[in-house]
Amino acid sequence: MQNSRIGVYICNCGSNIAHIVDAEAVKESAAALPDVVIARSYRYMCSNPGQEMIIQDIRELGLNRIVVSACSPRMHERTFRNACKTGGLNPYLCEMANIREQCSWVHADKLAATEKAIALTKGAVNRVRYQEPLDSLTAEMCASTLVLGGGIAGLTAALELALAGHPVYLVEKTDRLGGNLARVDLTAPYLDSARDLLTERITHLRDNSNISVMLSSHLKNLSGFVGNYCAIVETNNGHNPPEEKTIHVGNVIVATGYKEFDASRITHYGYGKLPNVITSFEFEQMLRTGRVQTKSGQLPQYVAIIHCVGSRSKEFHGYCSRVCCMTALKYAHEIKSALPDSYVSDVYIDMHAFGKGCEDFYKKSSEVKTLFLMYGKNERPVIRKADPSDDCEMLIEVDEKLSGERIEIPADLVILMVGMEARPDSAEVARLVNISADKDGWFIESHPKLDPVATTTDGIYIAGTCVAPKDIPDTVAQARAAAGRILAKIAKGKIEIDGVFAEINEDRCSGCRMCNDLCPYSAIEFDVVKKRSHVIPAACKACGACVAACPSSAIKGRHFTDQQIYAQIGGVLA
Amino acid sequence: MSYEPKIVGFLCNWCSYTGADLAGTSRIQYPANIRIIRVMCSARIDPTFVVDALAQGADGVLICGCHPGDCHYSEGNYKAMRRFPLLKKLLKSYGVEDERVRQTWVSASEGQRFADVVTDMTERVRALGPSRIHATLLTDRLER
Repeated sequence: MQNSRIGVYICNCGSNIAHIVDAEAVKESAAALPDVVIARSYRYMCSNPGQEMIIQDIRELGLNRIVVSACSPRMHERTFRNACKTGGLNPYLCEMANIREQCSWVHADKLAATEKAIALTKGAVNRVRYQEPLDSLTAEMCASTLVLGGGIAGLTAALELALAGHPVYLVEKTDRLGGNLARVDLTAPYLDSARDLLTERITHLRDNSNISVMLSSHLKNLSGFVGNYCAIVETNNGHNPPEEKTIHVGNVIVATGYKEFDASRITHYGYGKLPNVITSFEFEQMLRTGRVQTKSGQLPQYVAIIHCVGSRSKEFHGYCSRVCCMTALKYAHEIKSALPDSYVSDVYIDMHAFGKGCEDFYKKSSEVKTLFLMYGKNERPVIRKADPSDDCEMLIEVDEKLSGERIEIPADLVILMVGMEARPDSAEVARLVNISADKDGWFIESHPKLDPVATTTDGIYIAGTCVAPKDIPDTVAQARAAAGRILAKIAKGKIEIDGVFAEINEDRCSGCRMCNDLCPYSAIEFDVVKKRSHVIPAACKACGACVAACPSSAIKGRHFTDQQIYAQIGGVLA
Repeated sequence: MSYEPKIVGFLCNWCSYTGADLAGTSRIQYPANIRIIRVMCSARIDPTFVVDALAQGADGVLICGCHPGDCHYSEGNYKAMRRFPLLKKLLKSYGVEDERVRQTWVSASEGQRFADVVTDMTERVRALGPSRIHATLLTDRLER
């Protein structure tokens, strides 16, 4: 190891640090530590003159290690790393001691806080001696993309990528494209046909030679890392024996969609027992065939629509499924246009009409004489068979909130607005592509607001209703966003891999493979010939789980080595 | 001066270290006895770090990670959690009192909880008095 020449910089942060911590005392104590060439205290280290001070000292005093005792590294580590870089020093040779958030801001005792700041600074000085220059690596970016799911999200993403000239493998579980949208008649709020939306997509897709559509297929295994994934896709069309295909892709878009709530789980709606209680998807089917009728083929005089079936409830799903309110209004329109003399009652909890054009659509629905009845979240309506003397088949009892009365609504046909839920195989898909799912089974984005289509695994993107319930415009926007993110990466050509990752010393590795299973990113591969494990740097996220677990101490967690941490422990306790 | 215990805290970067930062930005006060060392994940905390801290003079060691189910690396905290009872068993055989070493979960939004944990731990360790295990552990380590 080269001789350390350490510079220590104590930030006063105006008075944020200095009003509690005696910065001069910290400086003097640091200056007395071995290898410390210079120690300075300054009002704002993060300011330009502060950074300039570090840069100049690196150049003039030949410093090769920098310690900044200031705020949290989460705040300014990047700033000081960049300053080091400017000064010609590898950015990983800089260490921060957090004497603001975790010292001056939380302790009132000046003596104790100063003593602690001295200890933390000493910990950082001890640690930085063992820090090593790290370089980021580059890897090739394969321009092909795997898209899972042939619904509107998958179709859109695939087209976007293919139109930019890149190969796409579109894997669909069933034997046809279109997903849940293919089961829908018209779409709210503009009442355009779902079939038209899909036909446009599918025609373009069929015309594009960059897209390989794989129907009746599913992902069996995914290995590798961003830019260099290897996917095994199994095709099983029921006629021929299952076939496996290995494909090389750079990125993956998961657009596996949703499943509708099983209405028979709510027993008091009588779904499955009362023949004319149907789900919204069954009603869509009726609309697509062009005949709204009861089971016995009669035209219904009274149609009731019940909202929030499985959604916004304590027993089933707590969340709102987002699209059902507008779909229900769409039904009111479609029923009124098919059966102008019918009576439509819309039984809802709250009307969620927040999308573009949706509030207008709601107003229009009131004009077509739909009877709106509001029920309480925990006072679900009850459906029962009507008496022979009534002129309807069923009666719905509801505690109507706006009037405060218990009302009986006649119905010949009841449509249950079933909500969306995560597909039963969502946990399996999440495991295959190494992403997370929340308590409801929806896939988790890297950041819900700022990074909504990326995941915590590089190169795996999510779009559409596998993330959470959403409507077609939002789904399409996400699909295009995911494709856009990938296109940007393909355009760059190479991927940069952070220098902080785990490294296995093959001479020490016993080949026990304990680390292989521990790694949450499948970043550790086993070489069957050498009988040794090795880390794929691009896939490693540097959590260090393998480092702590290796029984042979063969794994080094770069930038968080045992030696660095021992040294820091010694420093903070001195 | 009264006895002031030294406590080393190993905190994961994503939840607990951020939670400790939040205690700072919220100006929530707690005793100055804790010295925090940042690791990326609680799963990185090698049991020998804890033993080493005790050998180098710590009177207590606190390990904090994300709450179960919340780990930035999906399940690193579960790995840390499973390791912990074994470590405790080892420490017990050395005569290290149970309350000197503690593992708990602090999320990035739990600045108050972090301060409470540190306050509670400091009081408990203070009540135990100075750890007498440094010497034994140091000798053992040298022999190895």
